[in-house]
Amino acid sequence: MNIRRAFSVTKRIFRGLRNDRRTVALMFLAPILAMCVFGVAFSGDVKDVHVVVVNQDEGYQPPGVPVKVSIADMIISNFDEDVLKVDYVDTKDEGVQRVEKGGAYGVIIFPQNFTRDIYSRIQNPSLSVSTTIEVRLDKSNVNVANAIAKAVSDAVLKTMKDTGNAAPVTVNADNAIYGKGAKFMDFFVPGIMAFVVFMLTTLLTLISFVGERTSGNLERLQATPLRASEIVIGYAITFSIIGMLQSILLLVIGVAVFNIMIVGHIALAFLVIALLAVVSLSLGILLSSLAKREAQAIQFFPLIVLPTFLLAGIFWPVEAIPSWLRPLSYAIPPSYAVDATRSVMLRGWGIGGIWIDIVALLGFAVAFLSLAVWSLQRGRG
Amino acid sequence: MKNLFAIETKNLTKKFGAFTALDSLNLKIENSAIHGLLGPNGAGKTTAIKILCGLLKPSGGEAYIFGKKVPDRSILPVIGYMPQETALYMELSVHHNLALYGELYGMSRSRIAEREKELLKFIALEKWRDEPVSNLSGGMKHRVSLACSMIHEPRLLFLDEPTVGVDPELRASFWEYFNEMKRKGITIVLTTHYMDEAQHCDKIGLLRLGRLIAEGAPGEITRQTNTTNLEDAFLALSRQEVTA
Repeated sequence: MNIRRAFSVTKRIFRGLRNDRRTVALMFLAPILAMCVFGVAFSGDVKDVHVVVVNQDEGYQPPGVPVKVSIADMIISNFDEDVLKVDYVDTKDEGVQRVEKGGAYGVIIFPQNFTRDIYSRIQNPSLSVSTTIEVRLDKSNVNVANAIAKAVSDAVLKTMKDTGNAAPVTVNADNAIYGKGAKFMDFFVPGIMAFVVFMLTTLLTLISFVGERTSGNLERLQATPLRASEIVIGYAITFSIIGMLQSILLLVIGVAVFNIMIVGHIALAFLVIALLAVVSLSLGILLSSLAKREAQAIQFFPLIVLPTFLLAGIFWPVEAIPSWLRPLSYAIPPSYAVDATRSVMLRGWGIGGIWIDIVALLGFAVAFLSLAVWSLQRGRG
Repeated sequence: MKNLFAIETKNLTKKFGAFTALDSLNLKIENSAIHGLLGPNGAGKTTAIKILCGLLKPSGGEAYIFGKKVPDRSILPVIGYMPQETALYMELSVHHNLALYGELYGMSRSRIAEREKELLKFIALEKWRDEPVSNLSGGMKHRVSLACSMIHEPRLLFLDEPTVGVDPELRASFWEYFNEMKRKGITIVLTTHYMDEAQHCDKIGLLRLGRLIAEGAPGEITRQTNTTNLEDAFLALSRQEVTA
């Protein structure tokens, strides 16, 4: 192992990039684009959902109160206006029809005597009257349906509190242990960092190594004293640096544009990303030995991108993946990097908290590096 | 023991699946000589060179370079290899391609600069030193590739089709340079399918379908086959092979 020869390889790649603006643009514009597009599109909040309200409640004048009140009206006025766009119809049938025709995602029905029954029930809890708000939903879009159900529940809780009838039990989840006040972007940026570094490093080394093979450069290198391990180390140095630069760029934009929070030691997150870059480039080199031409290499793209996208916990947690599929999440390296960077940035954990992730990534790195070196040994044909 | 031969192979055989690319090749190549491997496409010329450079593993037989059995890492610093493909970094300048190989052979910066100057003069590309290789014509790239394989002054040089796409004038100067290297004690093994060019070699080996069908100085071979040039000699030998 001669580190000077490895540095020669590193120097060669950086020099090549200097005259290859398109690749450099891909390296640094793609992450920004990915973060902005996904960040804005997935920001999580469902908004402007059309619903129909059927209000059959006539209101009620409780004894000793000078005016008639309608709890249905109060609930309606407590709907989150950003989420629900309310329209009114007179009958349940009309409302259901509206949903059936696609004009709305749900019908919210307040039954007759709704307010009166509530007051009766407060006075006599054993009374068997129905005070149920019926919500008929179009669940073809589950996210939208859930947003309606939640908006209605929230409005009910708020109304009951306003009228002095708060439920005897309440849940308060505002005082978070970690990530107090976290938004979607805070959760998302660590994930997208790991995602772009893994994806771009793997794909770029894959393409670049298929090129080394088809151009004859690899054979020429193999006929010099340069060792396979030195080639791999040269690449590893290059792509760890590029991976860290990409992360810095994403963080700067994350802080400047999306105002994300970082509570932990960012250097530790960079270390994780550099480690992930080493794993990725070894994977790229390995895959390159299975492709004879660039066109064949491109066939690997979905194989790399899809599982990472779906299983690494970038957009939704590993816990949301069915348990029988979850082992696959643990079999792909980016899962550990996503978990580690998130724990560092949002929970402020140190190395003691993420050592399992680091060990897993180190394991992948050692295994993939050795396999990559093996695949580049001369005289294998 | 001083080795008389730069290269020696014994029953060297290479099979790719059912296809035999090289069939029991026995070669002896002397020091300070220019040795040509001739033959049509698929004769096994490139396969032989790749095995000698350690890039392919033989399926049978053995090969020795300066008395050491290949593959042996210790011979790598003294051999040079020019592949058939252009094998250059297109986005790098001529200078940086040459410098890369100089560095890989552990040469000092000043030595690289000296050699670069010599070689750029030899391949007549002094003005193109700082130009990315991608801007060069095919023949120019080929010349850069040749220079890259010689930057470290190897004792033994393998050139796979060094003169393809090179114009006649420059080709003549190549042969002058090869002869000059030979006088310095360097051994050159090259492949070509230009039979006329092979006249310049000290010795040639004619390959056909992975087998050596004739070996010797160009004059000897034409004499033995009663022909006037190597092309006719090759055809005559092929015919003998088929009837035998």
